[in-house]
Amino acid sequence: MFGKLTWQAIPFNEPIPLISGFAVYAMVVAILIWVWKKGYLPYLWREWITSVDHKRIGVMYCLLGAVMLLRGFIDAIMMRAQQAMAFHSNGYLPASHFDQIFSAHGTIMIFFVAMPFVIGLMNFAVPLQLGVRDVAFPTLNSVSFWLTAVGALLVNLSLVVGEFSRTGWLPFPPLSELRYSPGVGIDYYCWAIQISGIGTLITGINFVTTILKIRAPGMNYMRMPVFCWTALASSLVIVAVFPILTATLAMLLLDRYLDFHFFTDTAGGNSMMFMNLIWAWGHPEVYILVLPAFGVYSEVVATFSGKPLFGYRSMVAATMAICIVSMCVWLHHFFTMGAGPEVNAVFGIASMIIGVPTGVKVFNWMFTMYGGRVRFTSPILWSIGFMVSFVIGGLTGVLLAVPAADFQLHNSEFLVAHFHNTIIPGVVFGLFAGYTYWFPKAFGFVLDERLGKWAFWLWVVGFWVAWAPGYVAGLEGMTRRLQHYDNPEWHPWMLLSALGVLIILAGIAAQVAQLVVSIRTRAARLDVTGDPWDGRTLEWATSSPPPAFNFAKLPNVGSREAYWDIKQQPREARQLLTPEIDYEPIEVPRNSPTGFVTAALATVTGFALIWHIWWLVILGLIGAYGTFVVFAWRDRTEFVIPAAEVARIDGENRNARAAHLLELAR
Amino acid sequence: MSAESDQTRGEYDYTAGSYIGEDRPPQPAGGIAAATVRREIGGYLLGLAFAVILTIASFWVGRTTLVYGPSLAVGLLVLAVAQMGVHLIFFLHITTDPDNTNNVLALAFGVLMVCLVVFGSIWVMTHLNQNMTSPMMDHAMHMES
Amino acid sequence: MSTEILRAPLAPAPLGHRAAVAGAPPQVTGHGAGGPAPKRIIVGYGFWIFLLSDVIMFSSFFATYAVLFKSTAGGPTARQLYDLHNTALETAFLLASTFTCGLASIAVGQRSQKWTQVALACTGLLGVGFLTLEVREFARFVALGAGPSRSAFLSSFFTLVGCHGVHVTAGVLWLGTMMAQFWAKGFRTDIRHRFLCFTLFWHALDIIWVAIFSLVYLVGTLPPEFLP
Repeated sequence: MFGKLTWQAIPFNEPIPLISGFAVYAMVVAILIWVWKKGYLPYLWREWITSVDHKRIGVMYCLLGAVMLLRGFIDAIMMRAQQAMAFHSNGYLPASHFDQIFSAHGTIMIFFVAMPFVIGLMNFAVPLQLGVRDVAFPTLNSVSFWLTAVGALLVNLSLVVGEFSRTGWLPFPPLSELRYSPGVGIDYYCWAIQISGIGTLITGINFVTTILKIRAPGMNYMRMPVFCWTALASSLVIVAVFPILTATLAMLLLDRYLDFHFFTDTAGGNSMMFMNLIWAWGHPEVYILVLPAFGVYSEVVATFSGKPLFGYRSMVAATMAICIVSMCVWLHHFFTMGAGPEVNAVFGIASMIIGVPTGVKVFNWMFTMYGGRVRFTSPILWSIGFMVSFVIGGLTGVLLAVPAADFQLHNSEFLVAHFHNTIIPGVVFGLFAGYTYWFPKAFGFVLDERLGKWAFWLWVVGFWVAWAPGYVAGLEGMTRRLQHYDNPEWHPWMLLSALGVLIILAGIAAQVAQLVVSIRTRAARLDVTGDPWDGRTLEWATSSPPPAFNFAKLPNVGSREAYWDIKQQPREARQLLTPEIDYEPIEVPRNSPTGFVTAALATVTGFALIWHIWWLVILGLIGAYGTFVVFAWRDRTEFVIPAAEVARIDGENRNARAAHLLELAR
Repeated sequence: MSAESDQTRGEYDYTAGSYIGEDRPPQPAGGIAAATVRREIGGYLLGLAFAVILTIASFWVGRTTLVYGPSLAVGLLVLAVAQMGVHLIFFLHITTDPDNTNNVLALAFGVLMVCLVVFGSIWVMTHLNQNMTSPMMDHAMHMES
Repeated sequence: MSTEILRAPLAPAPLGHRAAVAGAPPQVTGHGAGGPAPKRIIVGYGFWIFLLSDVIMFSSFFATYAVLFKSTAGGPTARQLYDLHNTALETAFLLASTFTCGLASIAVGQRSQKWTQVALACTGLLGVGFLTLEVREFARFVALGAGPSRSAFLSSFFTLVGCHGVHVTAGVLWLGTMMAQFWAKGFRTDIRHRFLCFTLFWHALDIIWVAIFSLVYLVGTLPPEFLP
């Protein structure tokens, strides 16, 4: 009746997951009850859960990423603590737990922190920067978000019902095959990723279509902001490689569920084929993450240097070059598996070549800052921290790209330090910069700068204290994922690393404090005009937060820095120059519960598949089909905002801007 | 999308269903509609005819002894690609129309990815298998069932 | 500031391109500066991108099939199992269904409810015929002890061809839904857009089948000395 699910699935005899699971469950229930009692439920349902507005969806994505960052970071603290303690001892985590923790840490950080946050920023900013009203497929956008949330939910559920995978963040066979991992851990992992992978693929399709087909009049390709170019490149890579992930995990699931023999060690299976395919996805994945972060840096550096971005064309060329070359380097993740010198050399050279366009970008950012009047706000600090730290990480990457060197360093702590050195300063700092930069646009008030700067310094110092020892330990021979070790040379580095993670913890605490304090004191830091940073791109032409329709009239784009150029004449004249605008009614897509319902069904179906509850799987799939049909049968898909209402909303923003210009005149 | 944006381009009432975004202008007035239908059906029939010919050719290649043996697999690949081209042009209406450029570029990107995945995997795995399969392992792999 | 509307020239060597008729609005193409594209183009393009992603997924299965082709674990090989008569019949069914799908799209263009339903019904029946043949083939393999659990080669065969079959099944379900929608709601714009996506999907399935019958069935039954 319930498949493999029994009461044994709940870890009554393991205090750590039991207590933490109970604590989280209690918190969630408490929050839900509070929301219900305060009467926020209709508001939440109407304005957020069923919203198909890209701005709302973007905020929800970022919220998901931020919450999961806390969970992933707790895993990190646990790991660092274990490795600091486990010298000539077993530490405090039994091996089976430690394995689940490092697997969950990687899975959560990549799939449920970095991806949602990056996609959230893309969601929020791209349509605004393109000067349009929404993405190409708004309801599918909502479906994407909710499917991603389902994946996060399933992974977290594994903490209390069953177990998680123990293979690391990628389930290499034969360890991940049924014979060696008979539990439900791998299944939790695979179904969570498959479900959220569908969401991500839809997002990729959505953004490729939006960026290529839906832009303001006059915005040709060479007038798009660089963030939109990087979003395009990232979305193209998503569309190109997520199907590979889907196929590969499907094959692993077929092996586990139906006794197929793709990657088994019997009946002709070939586990290296899994490695080959999963890294054909896995390497482009990190470029999916880093390209939009590069885009954020481009926007931030240009805005806060008060100069147009240096070398726009070379930026675009570098972005598209990274997009293509990123799909030609995947073998460098398994140089040591015996493909031979010819194959290794080709992929090694390709892996070095891919550093070149990134170098072009770094030079462009530096030349943008050179000669500009740089305002050292926290987004610029994150960008500078990125430039210095990421370059070092990239250099260690080029070092690892040499197959002979990689033979020494493969799967060592050096490798772990390298990829954290590229992901944290590369992606995470970019996410923080983007979060700070676009927060006022999303919520109408600016974040506290002082706490933001504290957060930056704690993060950057903490990061280096945590990860520089990793490089040293790796060169001294320490391999990754060690639950305990006996080599005395490594111990001081592990202690230092643990100290680093505590400094990062302080940084995260500063960020939480920043958010709380900013919300409390928001009246004093309102963004009245919609342009708090003297921005250069079109999103700053709207109010903060923008109305549902973004722009009352789609702007006519005449140049590369559309908004900057629009601003200059009114600035000089100290008044708004556009004559009375002829407003028209605007059609806006209706909200839809499709996303939420699909997610609920996906949760049920995923859970049923994991625990082999077949009747529930069938019900879930029928429900999914039914949802599509119901959605397709809708007669009214849009509602109209009358011209008068548009005029009123736009008028408010225009008045605020006119007042601001008058103040400048005084 | 807002009504405004539809008005800027004009709402064409396209007839045939499977043109992917070719901006066909409105049909001229008069009884030309039937001719259009006949032309469209003719297009599909031509595509069908080409596809049938290529299919028959493929099946013939699959069993012939008249062609140099090791080239047969390549010949089948070429015929398959040709037939895919026929499908793309006659059924999916991929054209060189400038309006269609995005579609062609996307197709090229897709073809690149397919080549990377398929030929890249075959190349890598062939080398891996050659280097890492010892006679003993080979024996073991074929023994177990 | 002014709006520049860039005009691209017509393609010099048009392939299947119809010259613009006099009186049509200018083609604002090539650099995409004409503002947001019409809904139909957006929907069609988005689905085209999805199809390409689906093709890439199939290519992963093709790659796996190619790599595992020789891993028969002492069990039946392709040459022993594949029945080319069945394959030819399946090919005929699917190709015919692609043709009738094209006819259906012409019917939709002409807003003819009768011909739309007839053409779609034919497409559906041919699709179901294809699926029947495929299921029977799979059953025959399993009965011969050549099920997917027998060897890596058979796992990859069943997955590749089976994945295509699952897509055809989904297509048939979609087709039924489209028939119902046209019947119930007529030729409304959004339903026609959805139908455009369906025709793209159905034609793409035949393209994948071309690759399957050529590279799986026909190459698989070549004498082994002719294979790389």
